[in-house]
Amino acid sequence: MAIAEPVARRALRTTSRRKTRNLERKASVAAASLFGVVTLAALLAPVLSPDNPLMPAGAPLLGPGKGGFLLGSDSIGRDVLSRVLYGMRTSWFAALGVIALGLLIGGVIGLVAGATGGWVDNVLMRITDAFLALPAPVLAIAVVAALGPSLLHTLVAVSIVWWPFYARIVRGEIRNLAARPHVEAAKLAGAGRLRIAVRHLLPGAVPAALVTASLDIGNLVLTLAGLSFLGLGQSAPAAELGADTARNLSFLLQDWWVPVMPGIGVLVLAFIGNIAGDGVRNLIEPD
Amino acid sequence: MSALLAKRLGAIVMISIALAGVLFYLQKISPLDPVHARLGGQASASAVAAERHRLGLDRPEFTQFVDYVRGAVHGDLGDSYRTRRPVSTDLRAYLPATAELALSGLLIAMVLGVLLAFATTLRWKASSVLRPVLLLGASTPTFLLGIAGILLFYSKLHWLPATGRSSLADVPGGPTGLITVDALLHGRFDVFWDAVQHLIMPATAIALGPAVAIARVLRSSLVSDQRSDYARTARAKGLSEPAILIKHVLRNCVGAALSMTGLQVGLMFAGVLVIEQVFSWPGIGQYVAQSIPVADFPAISGVTLLLGVGYVVINTVVDLLQAVADPRIKV
Repeated sequence: MAIAEPVARRALRTTSRRKTRNLERKASVAAASLFGVVTLAALLAPVLSPDNPLMPAGAPLLGPGKGGFLLGSDSIGRDVLSRVLYGMRTSWFAALGVIALGLLIGGVIGLVAGATGGWVDNVLMRITDAFLALPAPVLAIAVVAALGPSLLHTLVAVSIVWWPFYARIVRGEIRNLAARPHVEAAKLAGAGRLRIAVRHLLPGAVPAALVTASLDIGNLVLTLAGLSFLGLGQSAPAAELGADTARNLSFLLQDWWVPVMPGIGVLVLAFIGNIAGDGVRNLIEPD
Repeated sequence: MSALLAKRLGAIVMISIALAGVLFYLQKISPLDPVHARLGGQASASAVAAERHRLGLDRPEFTQFVDYVRGAVHGDLGDSYRTRRPVSTDLRAYLPATAELALSGLLIAMVLGVLLAFATTLRWKASSVLRPVLLLGASTPTFLLGIAGILLFYSKLHWLPATGRSSLADVPGGPTGLITVDALLHGRFDVFWDAVQHLIMPATAIALGPAVAIARVLRSSLVSDQRSDYARTARAKGLSEPAILIKHVLRNCVGAALSMTGLQVGLMFAGVLVIEQVFSWPGIGQYVAQSIPVADFPAISGVTLLLGVGYVVINTVVDLLQAVADPRIKV
């Protein structure tokens, strides 16, 4: 008995630990799948929205729940819910677009630097460091100001300042991988530089890049909303979350829902992005 | 240490020149012609040529760039298209308000970050609800924090003012331009208290996001150092857990939190630009917001250069502080 009891207890403990680990895994999968849910909702925004976001649909400045407007109506009688849904759609796709561009630029630069080494690596990484040493959102404002305000220019500007993170991460992974035996073997087998880089190095850097990217979406939604708030986005009638808050600030004290609801739209998107990002990280890099 | 200092100063100069290069290039690719922006679309060809010559735009681009950098070093950032004044004059007028707001935000972020890290590490009561609250806080846009604050603390509770830096007419003009500091220098505690009340909401709004980031980094190093041998020794001699954290562990963990603070300053700059709109704060954010719709590029590039160089300098100071505090670190 004296011996059997601890053994039994240990067995019990491992099964319960396995159970919680399974539960954690399921929670992570659920969280990560939120990415798909939000993307689907963004695609379906035209179907989900009760009204046209650009056209008046009733009396102006009705409170939430009044006149058939779930989140109220704005100063010219447009449905706030529809505007928020369309705004979330724009924000989400904008964030995904910047992530994709950032991964592409950063991935290529990180791959070239990591796989080539030597002075190329040095030069590319010094440039990356210089970008990382500057405050990205402020630099983005200057880029948009030079190109002229528009959503496309904002996306280009933010991508230009966003890639250095990814370049650093991909390069670090590639340098680690380059010392592994399978790369040595590929070299001995006579594989060319390009083949080694693309077939033997790049795939190994994908998980780390994916984790970074998914943890980044929430930040990006917030940054883009801030730039939109400052007027660096689509022009007036278009539904955009940051800009809708900024333009309606004067209604805050009487008709709070008009400026507040778009802000809550940003909060919801960023929150979901952060939770889903955590989920992806836990799935790819379980500690 | 002096070699290190020289190296870091060199890096500041290099990055600043690189930033100036980027801004110069942006001006070149911008569809807005600086001559037309100044003279209007109907200016005669000879007037355009004369202005082009006066601005030095007919000279080789490299010479123009050298002139631009030389001017910037001497504080000449060109003239604003909108105000028709030198950008440096405009910035001097707006900078103190922004500096006061940003410094207050930084202070709040550091205090709050340390408190949050302690609360979650020591598992204070109610710290289990902190995690979701922190996650929510990190997902809230600065402007929503600002307007929610106005609705609650100004409109509902009447505790705090919602606009501007001061509601008093006779604010002493002082040497620093920071109302709180100047008020104390003049012994005007009423002005000081009024300015603090105006600062609380906007400064807290820009501080929450960075506070969460600082708390996360500090917490993870506190937790790992709690398991170290020296912490166990302190525990063995009977110290309480808070005493171990404050007297022994914190000192070793300050480095990572400090460098996170430096990085968060960039985010805070963006937050300041936004929050100044919400609270009608007469700072650089107002200047930027007025410059964007009229595409006043000299104004915006001046702000970018100022904030960019400020950010690089702050992060260098942070790195040097770390090296001073912890001799194991070689930057």
